[in-house]
Amino acid sequence: MYRSQKLSLRYFTAAIVLFGVMILFGLLSALYYLYPSMLFNVFNFSTSKILHIDTLVIWLLMAFMGAVYWYLPKELGHEVVGMRLAEITFWVFCAVVAVVALVFVFVQYGSANEFTLWFINQGRKYVEAPRWATIGVVAVMLVFAYNVIGTAVKARRMTGIMWVLVLDLIPLLIVYLDAFPAPTNMSVDLYWWWWLVHMWVESTWEVLIGCVMALVLMDVMGTSRRIVEAWLYIEVMLVLGAGILGLGHHYFWIGTPRYWLGIGGFFSALEPLPLLGMVIHSIYDAGMHRMKTANRPAFYWITAEAFGNFIGAGVWGFMMTLPQINLFSHGTQWTVSHGHFAFYGAYVCGVLAVFYVAKQKTAGTEFLDGRAWKWSFGLFNFGMIGMVMGLLIAGMAQAFYGRAIGGSTLMAFTQASENPWFIAGMYARMGFGVIFALGYVVLVYDLLTAPRRVPAPQTPMEPA
Amino acid sequence: MKVEGATTHEGRAGLDMTDPRFWRAGAISTTLVMLVVLAFLSVDSMRVISVGGAHVPRYDVVNRHIGYQYDWSRREDVPVIGAPEPLFGRTLTEAQATALVREGKLVIQSRACMDCHTFFGNGAYYGPDLTKSWLDPAWPQIWMPMTGKPTREEAMVAFLMNPDQYPTWTRAMPNLHLTEREARATVAYLKWMSAVDTNGFPANFGKTQTQQ
Amino acid sequence: MTPAALIETAVLLGLLVLAGGGYAGLYGYGRLRARPALVAAATACWIAALAIALAIAVVTPLDAGWKVLVVVSAIVYAVIPPATWRYLERLHVAEGEGP
Ligand code: HEC
Ligand code: HEM
Ligand code: HEM
Ligand SMILES: [Fe+2]
Repeated sequence: MYRSQKLSLRYFTAAIVLFGVMILFGLLSALYYLYPSMLFNVFNFSTSKILHIDTLVIWLLMAFMGAVYWYLPKELGHEVVGMRLAEITFWVFCAVVAVVALVFVFVQYGSANEFTLWFINQGRKYVEAPRWATIGVVAVMLVFAYNVIGTAVKARRMTGIMWVLVLDLIPLLIVYLDAFPAPTNMSVDLYWWWWLVHMWVESTWEVLIGCVMALVLMDVMGTSRRIVEAWLYIEVMLVLGAGILGLGHHYFWIGTPRYWLGIGGFFSALEPLPLLGMVIHSIYDAGMHRMKTANRPAFYWITAEAFGNFIGAGVWGFMMTLPQINLFSHGTQWTVSHGHFAFYGAYVCGVLAVFYVAKQKTAGTEFLDGRAWKWSFGLFNFGMIGMVMGLLIAGMAQAFYGRAIGGSTLMAFTQASENPWFIAGMYARMGFGVIFALGYVVLVYDLLTAPRRVPAPQTPMEPA
Repeated sequence: MKVEGATTHEGRAGLDMTDPRFWRAGAISTTLVMLVVLAFLSVDSMRVISVGGAHVPRYDVVNRHIGYQYDWSRREDVPVIGAPEPLFGRTLTEAQATALVREGKLVIQSRACMDCHTFFGNGAYYGPDLTKSWLDPAWPQIWMPMTGKPTREEAMVAFLMNPDQYPTWTRAMPNLHLTEREARATVAYLKWMSAVDTNGFPANFGKTQTQQ
Repeated sequence: MTPAALIETAVLLGLLVLAGGGYAGLYGYGRLRARPALVAAATACWIAALAIALAIAVVTPLDAGWKVLVVVSAIVYAVIPPATWRYLERLHVAEGEGP
């Protein structure tokens, strides 16, 4: 095992722990909707929700980094350059996350001044972490970029997948710089904030997970490099071709010019196309290579990724992306429904596949299967589908009663929130959320226990 | 790795769709085109959404009356900036208004209002959308009587300083310890924001529709 | 847009993409297992998608531009799964991994 792969395992561990923290705060956040006086004035919904979504961003980033550290030496046939720095950086990263979490829990918010923005809370969704921590994350990402690029230079080798990955890291980092400014003008603030959020989840992360999936496909299914690369380029072309201007679906109502209604609606209507492509491709590869698959959980999670990405992002996104619909669905639990389904389908499923790849290698089994992973696979999917269905119903009730009928005032908001459909949706989210959390418990159990199969014979394997 | 073998089977060298390089060129050129278009649109959008641009008023708009009315030619609701109506009875210079609204934004970020509320529909969904909060009939109808304040802005200050004392329903807003100065700045922010032209969002604000 | 039309339209749009996914998925699986019945079911999905697109054009209050986009893309979409499949086959044959 390469040294950087040991680091990956550390990143994966940290990611799984934070995944657990995230689920915990997701459940807590959901509980406020049912018991609004819970922890009132002591630990408010906002604090719980910040912890939920900020850990989401961090654990997925950690898992992506772990995946790259895992495959990088294998791809380039060379140990990763600057490992010592990378190892220190890992602990720095963890320390930054821990300090920020403690500040969020115990300090929560500050007065209206720059000190608060630097040291307590920036109050911008997904990037609430104070500026000092943002600098820390940028430093971590720079070391990461140095590891990747340095290794390529040292190995004097670059593969197509690595090119895509490196080129993708540049915009990924650049848009993250938008986590610093605090413009007074809300329209300008949101304009650039969406570059960060949308360009991450619908462009740069989508490309990044495309690279990771390409590597996993070659690894788990033995697909040839030429096929994987051709397919990756097609995906990149379609994802960025639709996704960059698809940004417009966030520019309907923030003060931006009217042409965004047409541009945003049109390009985001194209966004499901690449996701469909992935479905067809995964069926093809699944069929062609099923016999060769030595890692059943990874294989199932990759397939779930293709379908989940298509339904969560494609179907759920398309439902509300045309401006005439979005005028009413915008900023309701409908959005939350799509947010959960898309993040889960596109990223969580993919990352779980990588965890299982790593597990197989560390356990040294030639064939990975068992019972526990099936339970966690089932519980996760069942829980998530139930949650997003509940949220969809709640969101439609809000759009219908609160927006279209009620006219969006406080009174309309209140009445929609007391509508039986909305309340039923909130209970459903809570109940299925618990099922989802059980899936997590089984996942951790499964990843921690040694597989039951006999370990692979100690033949000199290629370093993997 | 196979080299050009596949090309001959295609019969058309140079445009071999099984060659990754074909798609690589496609990916690079598509991305570049989209980025260039986005750059142009962003420059134009900045013109419109900068303070004083076509959709976003200057901060001293807080000295004026602000309405929200259906515009038949645009077929949507648009903000209407009307007669002088100074906030807290004091007309502010542009510099004063700018400083006040700036402080309001800092309040909003430092208390993470956006992790319960939405602004222009963006944020969290636990509390009501604040885009047109300044115009919400709840101020005259519920909170002015409840707080005993004679004006909308004073009722807003009273509410923002002690929201836990003036709940309208079970899901109340917690006390985030705003000083009076901070609360006034926040009110100015909300008033300014209600004057931004948002292409008709939210629709039918304050006008209950009949079903069907 | 009336409240009821809002929900109807959104549901139809969602079903449209879902039917499109059904077409792609069933077509792929049918070709993989060489089962004409599945390929026929896939075609049925496409017909359903087209019907949904036409329903969107007729009954919803979407602006004309969106209706044209929806109907035209439903029609054009007919060729996409088979074309993608043929392409994947060619790619794999070229790599000596063919079926
Ligand atoms: C923990 C969640 C939470 C946070 C944080 C929060 N609010 Fe609220 N807010 C609410 C809830 C819930 C209501 C509805 C209260 C009621 O009706 O009694 C509300 C109501 C309001 C209203 C009245 C809305 C209207 O249109 O009538 C305003 C204005 C408001 N909040 C502003 C703010 C500001 C400014 C901040 C940040 C300083 C903030 N809120 C932070 C939950 C929150
Ligand atoms: C991997 C892919 C995707 C992910 C992870 C994702 C995630 C999200 C999230 C988290 C939000 C909520 C943002 C917020 O306000 O905090 C959102 C909003 C939105 N997404 Fe996506 N999305 C994806 C793909 C898509 C696609 C393909 C479409 C369109 C077809 C789409 C359309 C939208 C729209 C219209 C909104 C705005 C919702 C509103 O008005 O409130 N998304 N997305
Ligand atoms: C136990 C399971 C979970 C529960 C109960 C839960 C609950 C919640 C709640 C209550 C919110 C706040 C929404 C609001 O403002 O009203 C939220 C937001 C969010 N959650 Fe979760 N969550 C869970 C799992 C997840 C998972 C697995 C993901 C990612 C894959 C995720 C991603 C998000 C995102 C992106 C948001 C912000 C989206 C938005 O506001 O539109 N959550 N979640
Ligand atoms: Fe988006």
